[in-house]
Amino acid sequence: MRAENIMVTELTTAHVNDRVSDVLDRMKMAKLRMLPVVTDEGVVAGVISTFSIMEHLVPNYIVSGDLNQIPYAPDMGILRRHYFETIGKDLLSVMETKPLLVKRDESLLSIAAALTAFGKHEYALVVDEEKRLIGVISAGDILDRLGNMIEGIEDDA
Amino acid sequence: MHNTDHIISSSVVFGLDPVWVAVSILLLIYGVIMAEKFNRAVLSLLGAGLMILCGVLNQQQAVAGIDFNTIGLLTGMMVIVAISQKTGMFQYVAIKAAKVVKGEPWWILVMLSLVTAAFSALLDNVTTVLLIAPVTLLITDALGVRPYAYLFALILASNIGGTSTLIGDPPNIMIGSAAHLSFTDFLINLTPIIPVIFFTVIAVIWFMFGRDLKASDEKKLLIMQFDENAAIKDVVLLKKSLFVLFGVITGFTLAHTLHLEPATIAMFGAASLLLLQSWGQPLHDKDHAYEGIMAEVEWTTIFFFVGLFIIVTGVEHTGVISMLGEKTVAMTGGNFAATAASILWVSAIASALIDNIPFVATMIPLIQSMAPTFGGEEALTPLWWALALGACLGGNGSLIGASANLIVAGFAQRAGHPIAFLTFMKHAFLLMLLTIGISHVYLYLRYLS
Repeated sequence: MRAENIMVTELTTAHVNDRVSDVLDRMKMAKLRMLPVVTDEGVVAGVISTFSIMEHLVPNYIVSGDLNQIPYAPDMGILRRHYFETIGKDLLSVMETKPLLVKRDESLLSIAAALTAFGKHEYALVVDEEKRLIGVISAGDILDRLGNMIEGIEDDA
Repeated sequence: MHNTDHIISSSVVFGLDPVWVAVSILLLIYGVIMAEKFNRAVLSLLGAGLMILCGVLNQQQAVAGIDFNTIGLLTGMMVIVAISQKTGMFQYVAIKAAKVVKGEPWWILVMLSLVTAAFSALLDNVTTVLLIAPVTLLITDALGVRPYAYLFALILASNIGGTSTLIGDPPNIMIGSAAHLSFTDFLINLTPIIPVIFFTVIAVIWFMFGRDLKASDEKKLLIMQFDENAAIKDVVLLKKSLFVLFGVITGFTLAHTLHLEPATIAMFGAASLLLLQSWGQPLHDKDHAYEGIMAEVEWTTIFFFVGLFIIVTGVEHTGVISMLGEKTVAMTGGNFAATAASILWVSAIASALIDNIPFVATMIPLIQSMAPTFGGEEALTPLWWALALGACLGGNGSLIGASANLIVAGFAQRAGHPIAFLTFMKHAFLLMLLTIGISHVYLYLRYLS
């Protein structure tokens, strides 16, 4: 089974110049935790996710691994302050610029392996040769399809 | 004429003068290291390889040139620190220090500097700032003050603290090993001047930044809400680490009496802590833990030293360093005080501008070569203190003067408060000169007058 057989093609996307606050609203409405970010030409520029927004709320010296866990620190209002700063920014400065990209003819095994190795989030973006977005595959999509195969609803062709 | 006893006549490539070959390799490698375009360990190992391939040294001579006391001491302490840092004790002490002074911004700076200096004296500077700097950023965030003054003070404190002991800074480890100076020798001869230097620097920092460090009562209260006890991740490991650290420091102080080298004590301490930290765990978990700790040893630094020792041995074998030593003595007219002063100031300026480790590696044989002029190895001791003070404190002169400085600069960058090279140097270089001035007076009054 290949990426093109499993990918979701009805996509909600964000534009590089969108503001974080608008995209957050859109994600909330669509009940999504991640949106691909594209340019005017539909080329993938990155990914915006609840995780990448959260990364901007926690100071860099913490998320960069310098301080891993800080069970000794009080709230300090840092998150609130950074939240207000972050939602006013455009996606370009907040999105993750190196999402996991896969090709439409990649095997399910290859995609599952790439998702596992990537580790940051559970989505892969399927792109064509020009890096234009054509679909999205989540770890959940793969597991659903495998479940269907075992129940005999689908074969793995 | 240089000392021909040392010159190797055999099989230097193309029949070239070994002096030129060795010096060219040294200058080439040091030059590329300074350019910071390649990993310094790779370069030093390449240089070491070239010394052998070009026939300046054979492999036996190269291996004999490696100071395994320095290598063992560094590696042992790295293992001990790698385990100890997992306990959260650095964060505990930093937070406790901030709370002891009730969240007063200036006094927090003083306390964090003091903690940094103390840890740097007993462990290594890089690990100390690696663990104290992020907590400092968290504290300054809570206080709502700019972190520059704090990070600036941290850098200076780490280098000043590191100067005070045998194990505080790599140059001291190298000097101690080469000159057979013990932990106690450093305590007796260098440690006394360190508080004077430290508090002078703190006083100047107060004039530079201290008066502007203010925070509201609400922010100070926030500092008091930090829970230092929550920083301790593993109480049992903390006890084991403190036990071994205490044993190792005691061992260092008794090393001379026991006829032991510091490397033996550090490596034994490291092995003991490795054993203790995973005591009672299944074999698989133990192996996993050992491998994790070994991965945290800075092998790049260790191999950098290995290569460097071979490069310097190559140059030393050609007789060039003895020749330079003779010239240095001639320049100072054979005056011991003037020689010590030259070593102090030249080391300080050089260490501010280039990596102090290769500099000290080169200076060690140069100073050793002065023994006949000044009445034997014993008489050279003040020169070693001059080198230690110059090379360690000189690291404060610029952002590239010491590894710890670059680590802190990296934190500042990530926190969105980058430390500009020239801004730092504008503040730090004069302070560094001041510390060298104090050192000069100290050396003069204690050893040279």
